[in-house]
Amino acid sequence: MNWRLITDDNVSPSFGLAADDVLAQRVGMNQSQPTLRLYTYRSHCALVGRFQNIENEIRIEYCRENGIATNRRPTGGGAIIMGADQLGVALTIPGRGDDSYSHARELMGNFSEGLVRGLNQLGVEAKFRRKNDIEVNSKKLVGLGIYRAPSGGLLFHASLLVDLDIELMLRVLNTPFEKISDKEIDTVAGRITTVRRELENWIALDEVRRVIADGFAGAFDLSLLHADGFSRDELDDIAKLENEKYLTDDWVYQTTSVPDSNGSAKVKTEAGLIDVSVTMAGGTIKAAFIGGDFFAEESAVADLEASLRWHASQPEKVAATIGKIFQSRKSQFSGIQPEVMVEAVTKAVSRARVAESQMRADPYGCYVNPGGAHE
Amino acid sequence: MSNQTNSYEIPADLAYDREHHMWVQVDSASGDVFVGIDTLGLASLGDLAYVTLKDVGKSVKRGESIGTLEAAKMTGDLIAPVSGTIVARNDATVSNPGLVNQSPYVDGWMVVIKPSDWENESAQLVSGDGLPVWVESEVKRYKNQGWID
Repeated sequence: MNWRLITDDNVSPSFGLAADDVLAQRVGMNQSQPTLRLYTYRSHCALVGRFQNIENEIRIEYCRENGIATNRRPTGGGAIIMGADQLGVALTIPGRGDDSYSHARELMGNFSEGLVRGLNQLGVEAKFRRKNDIEVNSKKLVGLGIYRAPSGGLLFHASLLVDLDIELMLRVLNTPFEKISDKEIDTVAGRITTVRRELENWIALDEVRRVIADGFAGAFDLSLLHADGFSRDELDDIAKLENEKYLTDDWVYQTTSVPDSNGSAKVKTEAGLIDVSVTMAGGTIKAAFIGGDFFAEESAVADLEASLRWHASQPEKVAATIGKIFQSRKSQFSGIQPEVMVEAVTKAVSRARVAESQMRADPYGCYVNPGGAHE
Repeated sequence: MSNQTNSYEIPADLAYDREHHMWVQVDSASGDVFVGIDTLGLASLGDLAYVTLKDVGKSVKRGESIGTLEAAKMTGDLIAPVSGTIVARNDATVSNPGLVNQSPYVDGWMVVIKPSDWENESAQLVSGDGLPVWVESEVKRYKNQGWID
């Protein structure tokens, strides 16, 4: 089996996103070959998730003043900045019909395998973490998303941080931080990482791209045929979709009727204070941050936070998920009982629901959790 | 009447789009059809966080988008199971998408379509005696493809 490999650089957000969208639709209709696209955006642009309110997530004025283009992805998740040091990954495959692609369709786990293999080849100990991240020692390195086109074609999207200007990211994204100092930068640096940081060495983005392509070829046992760009028909479709969708204010500035809201709660225990903050989209927990002064393995806390991301907020569902995490990692929470963690999270959720009716909440970005660092 | 197949509730008195897992219920008085997502489709999506629906009065063709969604597992489009005109939409699902997961066949209906080619297009939906075989094959397909556990 062969997939096409397309590499392109310095693309505008409207072209980059329209190309991925078009390929998903065309591959679903068997009009284009399954394609792995490894590309970079023109530095810098800011992209929000499919349903985010861009004015909540991005400092629009700062972007305008500094020539930072903004747009909206077809895939979900949080806001990100992209540029020459962030590798965009877009895999488009048929979603139904020919079952020779069934292995590739096994969602994030398999999609991430190509990325993980490539990163491991570089010596970066990256691991997939459900639902949407690839991490190194509990620090986020890659954000993942899936879009299913009307034709059934699937687009797997990823942004891989080869490097990142954290200060710029904090200036572009509407984060919970009131100011941007070394402390805030250190806080974010404690939650995310980059390929160059992990390698403690400079590496060319092209080299990362090469090993990622190898990783996908190995993970899916196929050959990648490097194409000389898009076909004429594809470029026509991309130009049309740019004009009809990705260059329009209707797409970029659309809003949702599901409001964001934040809530937090502190619970004192004999093992220490648990301090939980959540960001909600209506009734869904979009992000959870668990801090305080209790002692716990950082990876166990990160695991719990990741499990609660994009999670239903009903108490029984929260309790089931927390119970599952504690079942496998209880000793790593050093005396904290799962029931107390459930109490803290559900209290934070309740307060967010109250806040939802009172005020618009503080937003957050793809690589930034609400609140400060876990201490 | 309901049909429990592989623990997914697929009511036997509804018709279903074979690929997109949208359910269809005909209102016998008006001939209009209520449309929503079936439980197997919802299992493949996870909890819904956002929903948009096209406006009332819009014409749609079978296979085209009638709205969009973001769920725990992916973003995507809601696909019209029949062609026609949208005559009503359930704004409660837009402001509270979790309603679709909680009550997919009652409170979580999404749009009502006045069909323009019901005679031909209804034949492409699966219903009645065809349901158990279809559900079984779809559960197998979704499991193979990793959409459901």
